[in-house]
Amino acid sequence: MGRLRVLTAKELLQLVRDPVLLAFMVYLFTFNLVLQGTSVSLQLTSASFLVHDADRSMASRELLYRLRPPYYRLEGEVAHPQMGLRALDRGEAMLLLDIPPDFEEKLRRGETTSVQLLIDGTHTVSGFLAANYAARIVGEYGQEIAMAREGLPGQRVDSMPVILDDQRVWFNPNQKDTWFMPISELLEAITILAILLPAAALVREKERGTIEQLLVAPLTALQIMIPKVLGMTIVILAGVTISLFTVLIPVFDIPVRGSLPLFYGVTTLYVVANAGLGLFAATLARNLAQIGLLTLLIVAPIILLSGLWTPPEAMPAWLRTATLFSPLRHYIDASYGILLKGAGLSLLWDSVLALAAIGGAILAFGIWRLQRQIKS
Amino acid sequence: MGAAPLVTDADTALIRVRGFRKSYRKRVAVDRVDLTVPRGTIFGLIGPDGAGKSSLMKAIAGVLAFDAGEVEVFDVQLDSEAAAERIKDRLGFMPQGLGLNLYPELTVDENIDFFARLRLVPEDALRDRKHRLLVVTRLDRFKNRPMKQLSGGMKQKLGLVCTLIHEPELVILDEPTTGVDPVSRRDFWTIVGELVAEKGITALVSTAYMDEVNRFHNIALLHAGTVLATGTPSEIHALAPGAQVLVQVDPPLTALAKLRQGFPQVETIGKRLCVYVDDATPANAEQTVRRALAGYTLHSIQAGEPDMEDMFIALLRRRGLIPIERVTVRQETPVNAASSGACAVEARDLTRDFGDFRAVDRANFTIAAGEIFGLLGANGAGKTTVIKMLTSLLRPTEGLAWVAGADVREGGTAVKERIGYMSQVFSLYLDLSVIENLRLYAGIYGLSRRQAKERIQWVIEMAGLAGHEGERPAAVPVGLRQRLALGCALVHRPRVLFLDEPTSGVDPVGRRRFWDVLFRLAREDGVAILVTTHYMSESEHCDRLALMYAGRIVADATPSELKQSLEDDAGELLEIDVADSTGALTLLRDVGFANAYMHGARVRVFARAPGADRHSVQGILENAGVRVVQIKCIPPSMEDVFVYRITALERAAAEVAA
Repeated sequence: MGRLRVLTAKELLQLVRDPVLLAFMVYLFTFNLVLQGTSVSLQLTSASFLVHDADRSMASRELLYRLRPPYYRLEGEVAHPQMGLRALDRGEAMLLLDIPPDFEEKLRRGETTSVQLLIDGTHTVSGFLAANYAARIVGEYGQEIAMAREGLPGQRVDSMPVILDDQRVWFNPNQKDTWFMPISELLEAITILAILLPAAALVREKERGTIEQLLVAPLTALQIMIPKVLGMTIVILAGVTISLFTVLIPVFDIPVRGSLPLFYGVTTLYVVANAGLGLFAATLARNLAQIGLLTLLIVAPIILLSGLWTPPEAMPAWLRTATLFSPLRHYIDASYGILLKGAGLSLLWDSVLALAAIGGAILAFGIWRLQRQIKS
Repeated sequence: MGAAPLVTDADTALIRVRGFRKSYRKRVAVDRVDLTVPRGTIFGLIGPDGAGKSSLMKAIAGVLAFDAGEVEVFDVQLDSEAAAERIKDRLGFMPQGLGLNLYPELTVDENIDFFARLRLVPEDALRDRKHRLLVVTRLDRFKNRPMKQLSGGMKQKLGLVCTLIHEPELVILDEPTTGVDPVSRRDFWTIVGELVAEKGITALVSTAYMDEVNRFHNIALLHAGTVLATGTPSEIHALAPGAQVLVQVDPPLTALAKLRQGFPQVETIGKRLCVYVDDATPANAEQTVRRALAGYTLHSIQAGEPDMEDMFIALLRRRGLIPIERVTVRQETPVNAASSGACAVEARDLTRDFGDFRAVDRANFTIAAGEIFGLLGANGAGKTTVIKMLTSLLRPTEGLAWVAGADVREGGTAVKERIGYMSQVFSLYLDLSVIENLRLYAGIYGLSRRQAKERIQWVIEMAGLAGHEGERPAAVPVGLRQRLALGCALVHRPRVLFLDEPTSGVDPVGRRRFWDVLFRLAREDGVAILVTTHYMSESEHCDRLALMYAGRIVADATPSELKQSLEDDAGELLEIDVADSTGALTLLRDVGFANAYMHGARVRVFARAPGADRHSVQGILENAGVRVVQIKCIPPSMEDVFVYRITALERAAAEVAA
């Protein structure tokens, strides 16, 4: 027990004395969350568009007027659609609206007319949203004109037989993506560090040759590994605390609806599970540079399979099954559940159980690999 | 010095350094250095690690900017990048470290081709030179082997070939022989010597081995960034005149304390004590020591010229650069009768395979409590593997071993609590302070608070670390760092201590202190010590030596027995001082003195019938017109033993292969 304490204290001291790793951790747990939370947005803002207005009528101006900030930003008019296309190619504008010469004329006559909207879909999300919003705006405009023709000028839409679509969003009522992004980033940071830190601690001992000094001492392989996992878990929990109380809660107003102790408990489980992967990486690598690369290699599939970026429901069936093996997937379910939904163990028991099972298996594997390597 | 041109004329100087200073951040590495290297000579920069040798050599090679002073090479002032570029195609520079300038994945052949083409050597010239250099370095058989699979000595020879392939007029070699086994070292010096004699090139070579001093025409002794002395080896010898007396005396511990009161420089070498007597001839030095030891039982006493290492220390001491060690008189503590002489380590047919490669082949030996046992051998001979098996870091493939009474295959804590281990890299935690390192190991070994305090205090005193407790190990001098690593291995009072090349890179003063500690551990506390080393002069400190070759133990005896059996087998060693040593060496080899070798500007041969051979050697040389200055009989060194035994085995292996 005394040895465990001495060795864990050593791990913490070494980490504190490593300014680069420390700075990297602080960055991941604080500034990175602020950056991700404020710069990445999944809403449509200031989509730049050009217009080729061949009609130059009241109706065309009315339509243009409806595509307005903050969603759209009119960049100007082009004399010929070809010029607009070139602007699209060069990335100077995202949308090109082409209004035909007889636009107003046809509307007045009650005939069907169409406008063309060309969209640069390189950035899928904004492209999709821009098209969607535009379709709705044009649709509404068309509806109003149709109603005016039917002799219902000035009437409100609700006098017509339409279905009203009222949405009420739970857990994130204002649909702030400044809640979603920083939490995702925090979970990602935890994932990376939980693998990287124990791996780095172990490989550093290999590099320096101090591991041999520990092996000739009356310590078992397990006694050498546990302090590393323990020390790094303490460090990561400290980082999570800093994240929660200096960034997530004060900056992004994230409501912690569930029990914090439960969140810490689940996080501990998750960190220990990932430490197993770190130990495994340490058996493959000979130096810190290799650990850096291996961590990238291990973290990428864990995150991709977790549903952090793409919901598992949107994946092909076989991939959806694979997501069940990513510890992060269960950790995400549990974390969002606790932080945003206020769920307790009674609801999250399956995620916690899955996490414990996967984590136990990974940790056992990591320890087994390392023990085998040491006793070569 | 024999063939060495005695140069004072500044016009023949190839390198001139005046008022050189280089500092790294605030730390001054080299200061106020003046140096003149004459054309066509081997110039040695001698000094411990951190003396400033590397900085000086890099500046001369034009790859390091310096703060003040002038460096002139080939009459070009190195004051700008452009000036440095102008000299680069006329010199070859080999940086420190085994094969660091080579590409591990390329073969021997490809490495040489790469360096040649980099230097735009014409293809036909390359072919000729490559062939010739590969033959002299005996690397021709390994042409298609990737560099990473070569032994340390072979890597270093390949590095030299790559440095020489464009036939530079000046070669700068930074510690080319560090970490290289004695056989390869001797090869190395032969190549450099021949090149200087034949092609008239100039070599600037640094070394930390004091016993290599006689290989240079001129040397500069460096200490703590300044030049202590320059001159020929004999001129340097004359700076600290004195004699060295080797004495075997009973009881040794009080005799040691007694001598230390009267003489400033006394050390233990195996079972003997070595006393440096200032300003004395060997004869009256012996008288002085006899008088000082009146009342003790003298088993043997022998006086002679001091070796370079003693001389270097004497010089430092006389100039007040090292503190005179305070004398602590200790009572003779009889070694615990139960542990003394008891078997502490026993290896029986110990074997280890790595795949198809047998690293250790049926090793048998025992080490008694209180005994210092040395394991000698070239890189890759299996020394480290033996230690790793005995410390249960590696499992033996076959065979048995007991350490401190327990079977190592069990690998249990019983063994681990009783052994200490120090590896060649001084595995300390560099991000923890000195005291934190000690506390950590005290904690790992489960010492109680009181025990820990007591032992840490002991280590700090033993290692001379007082005042450095809060510093990081990287900040303290190498010698202290080494004793700290030793302290960490000793914090739990082990019964058996394993040391794997513990003194690499440590300066002579530090090495002596280290051996002093080991001697006391063995004699006072009855600790059994197994040590491996590359320094042949150090092997003399051991009570018993085992020589390893290709995984086997090929000799196991005391140092004096080993030397005796060498003289029985090969004859006595004659040192021949001649005008043309290169020519003399070729002559003598041609007439059948196969074991003749070059030692500095002198030639040494083994003679089965010393009297008759002395005459025949003299006759052969003088008939060929080589003037013989002197021929004398000298005692063989451990290096002679090592080289003789290993080359004999290599030859036998080559015959079997053929």
